[in-house]
Amino acid sequence: MEWLDSFWSTYSTLVLSTGTNVLLALSIYITLACGLLSVANAGFMAIGAYSAALLTLHTGTPLTLALILGAIAAAMMALLIGVPTLRLSGVYLAMATLAFGEVVRILILNAEDLTGGALGLNGIPQLGGLLEVMISVTLALYIFLRLAHSQVGRSMTAISQDEIATELMGLNVRAYKLFCFVVGAALAGLAGALNAHFTFFISPNEYGFERAVEILAMGVIGGVSSPWGAVLGGSLITALPELLRGMGRYRPLINGAILIIIILYSPKGLWDGLRSVLRRTRG
Amino acid sequence: MLAQQIINGLSLGGVYALFALGFTLIFGVLSIINLAHGAIFMIGAYAALHAVLVFHFALLPAIFVAIVITGVAGWILDKFIFAPLRARRAPHLAPMIATIGVAICLTSLAEGYFGSENLRFPPDILPSSTLSLAGVQVNWLDLKIILLVLLLMGFMLWVIRDSRTGRALRSVAESPKAAALLGANVEGLFLATSVIASILGGVAGVLIALYTNAVFPNMGQPMLHKGIAVVIIGGMGDVRGALIGGFFLGFAEVLTIAYIGSSMRDAVAFGLLFSVLLVRPAGLFGHAPQRRV
Amino acid sequence: MLSRAVLFTIFFVCLSCTSAVAQIKIGIAEALSGNAAQYGVAIRKGFDLAAGEIASSGGINGQKLEFVIEDEQGKKEEAINVFKKLIFQDKVLMLFGPTLSNSAQSSDPVAQAAKVVVFGTSNTADGITSIGNYVFRNSVTEADILPVTLKVAAQKTGFKKVAVLYGNDDIFTRSSYDNFKKALQDLQILVTTTETFAKGDVDFKPQLTKIKGTNPDAIVVSALVAEGAPIMVQARQLGIALPFVGGNGMNSPRVFELARDHSNNLWVGSPWSLESPVPENQRFVAAYQKSYGALPDQFAAQAYDAMYIAAQAMRKLKVAGKLEADRKALRDALPAVQWNGATGPFSFRQARGRDGKPAGYDAVQTPIVMVTQRNQYVIQK
Repeated sequence: MEWLDSFWSTYSTLVLSTGTNVLLALSIYITLACGLLSVANAGFMAIGAYSAALLTLHTGTPLTLALILGAIAAAMMALLIGVPTLRLSGVYLAMATLAFGEVVRILILNAEDLTGGALGLNGIPQLGGLLEVMISVTLALYIFLRLAHSQVGRSMTAISQDEIATELMGLNVRAYKLFCFVVGAALAGLAGALNAHFTFFISPNEYGFERAVEILAMGVIGGVSSPWGAVLGGSLITALPELLRGMGRYRPLINGAILIIIILYSPKGLWDGLRSVLRRTRG
Repeated sequence: MLAQQIINGLSLGGVYALFALGFTLIFGVLSIINLAHGAIFMIGAYAALHAVLVFHFALLPAIFVAIVITGVAGWILDKFIFAPLRARRAPHLAPMIATIGVAICLTSLAEGYFGSENLRFPPDILPSSTLSLAGVQVNWLDLKIILLVLLLMGFMLWVIRDSRTGRALRSVAESPKAAALLGANVEGLFLATSVIASILGGVAGVLIALYTNAVFPNMGQPMLHKGIAVVIIGGMGDVRGALIGGFFLGFAEVLTIAYIGSSMRDAVAFGLLFSVLLVRPAGLFGHAPQRRV
Repeated sequence: MLSRAVLFTIFFVCLSCTSAVAQIKIGIAEALSGNAAQYGVAIRKGFDLAAGEIASSGGINGQKLEFVIEDEQGKKEEAINVFKKLIFQDKVLMLFGPTLSNSAQSSDPVAQAAKVVVFGTSNTADGITSIGNYVFRNSVTEADILPVTLKVAAQKTGFKKVAVLYGNDDIFTRSSYDNFKKALQDLQILVTTTETFAKGDVDFKPQLTKIKGTNPDAIVVSALVAEGAPIMVQARQLGIALPFVGGNGMNSPRVFELARDHSNNLWVGSPWSLESPVPENQRFVAAYQKSYGALPDQFAAQAYDAMYIAAQAMRKLKVAGKLEADRKALRDALPAVQWNGATGPFSFRQARGRDGKPAGYDAVQTPIVMVTQRNQYVIQK
């Protein structure tokens, strides 16, 4: 048991980060699965993080409630901007959602009295723990796996393949897209709220362009054909800096190179790539 | 003060337009959001700086060095990353993620080789005299950048509209399959576009490094954000869009700082961006995405 | 610099061979890559220099110092992970770092909870030493320096009204601005306008043009040299010949390289000055130049002194080999250390925590006010 204690002391944050990154990857999986190229999740993550942190910091709200409220705040924002934004498609949607993420960051930066602006929120109560992360990840994964094999899931795939045909078949495409967008936002908000509670401190700059791109990378590397792809993508991106620690100053270089190699050899994502390798070796 | 701010808007807009030019070209022809454009921009600046500092080149030869190095980078980018992904029919987000990897690698290499502190070109490399007309201060370099941007745009517009290569490029952008059937060397055109766009990025890098007196490994990042904003406003894939979008953004930022407050600058810029996307997503000059039914 | 690295590697290898000699393990967590690398690398050079000197003069009570150096990349999650690794896996006696105040807010609580001394050399924002009594820093906060800088600069140049320009998206420049604002109010200096910029900006002419229009006597700028130098250059290009008053971040010889002819008339206050005649400083500057072929900056100087300050505390310890007890003993010995280093006379002062109880330790040092003239920082009395 001493081994476990020692492992946990050193790596607890890493494990928790893996959990929240998997949630973020799932949040983008669900939008990609519906054919939506949304890069707004960093912004939703910020909304969830700040809402939950402000609640626990100033009003002593218990963690579970704060997490749920954080996710709801993000979801509501998604509902608000989803209706006009989802009329766009493809790269235009990607750009709009990217812009939205930046607007959120700038608003948080400027709302100094509430959010502390550039100084960030300090001393967030350390309530966040393994239990909440595990429950969130398991729940999300379970729901998505069931979804993927259900009628809803098949409709989503249909939409991502060809929206017009799906509409002609009588499906309310706009409602489905909004549903995916809002659920993705809620997950991202939840991830943000969890992250805030095991890192003591949040500031607007960590939810900017870099974070948005990182979340996107997790989704694409894992692949969108299955929620397991998100698990793979999120875990890999979290683990990579740790695994490469011995490389010293070459770490970012190798990180970038690995990204390139994965995309080149498995453009549909690692999950698909691994499955096809398994199939080939079996057959 | 308004006169001076107008000059400021023009030079800032020129800087943005110059960067956006290469970025929009790759999007227009290859349909790829090239997130490595900022890194290539940075490599151009470092290549020229190195030529000047270590080999004692004058400015023009140094720019030529930047052109060669970034041209090679663009060639490698298409040959080893974009082309293989095209051959494998990768999903359209895949090249973008690959360019993220490229950007990380290039930035890390620059940091490792040149160090992470800000460097600058020696002051005597370019006459930095300031012209003073009617209370307004204009820098020679600013003027040169604006002129160069207009010249380049004019040239590119002429190429795309009136030359055979330009027509081939436009047909490839419209539909690669049709263009191939009609005999266009599609792969060759893609390669050429990547090279040209990278060269444009590299030249922008040198000029902007001279303008701002700063060369550092992450210099491409903030420019990339602005570049994305410019192409959204101006219309993705259109050269005129890069020009108009660049100046539009430059003016919007300058006027916000002058008359509203500098802390609102980014909020206004992104608010504008957002509105453009909701009202006219194709941007000022872009075409609405075609639905092939 | 290469020879230093070689020396260190040999030193390290020899260290691992001599298992008979008890070792004192110290962790260093700084940003060695990424955006904050220019500061982290300078800090590391300061540490290396001091460590080399201590080693060649016999170590601490005959014991050798072993260093575990990690790159926290200027990211808060990485800082937390690195701290945990150093504390729980490498089992260091104490740690130095991290580079950025942002990272410190996240990672210092980890050290505090684990009861390990964390010694910051470049964290100047609020809310760090208030984390707890295992948090130390020798980086003097702006709250202590800026009022002195403003007073001296106002006296010598006679300015009555100023314009303020600061970076509003970075915790360091923002925190510095808050202190400037308060100091300006206390000294009853009028502010004609307040403008902002963002990190990574390269064009400040719009803000400077607006500032010029409000006719101040001087410009107060809260920026690091990366933005501060272009600000000065562009201001001069726009015909603004006013004096600049800068915070901690502007105290760097890089301002001469980057701003060249436009670098004059910048007033800064700092606990350290390149020109400080204190003999320890002269020795430090000479040694730094010899090892690295460049002039040191404030980040290197404070790291250098921090290593010596920690060494002083360690000299008083009897490293018993029982980690928990040793860590606590170090923490108890540190507050009383007084040292004359490159940054002059130094001692600690205890700060208060958020609950009002005594917490971590801040630096007590007299600021030196300087003005730039012809590529030099000239000290003003």
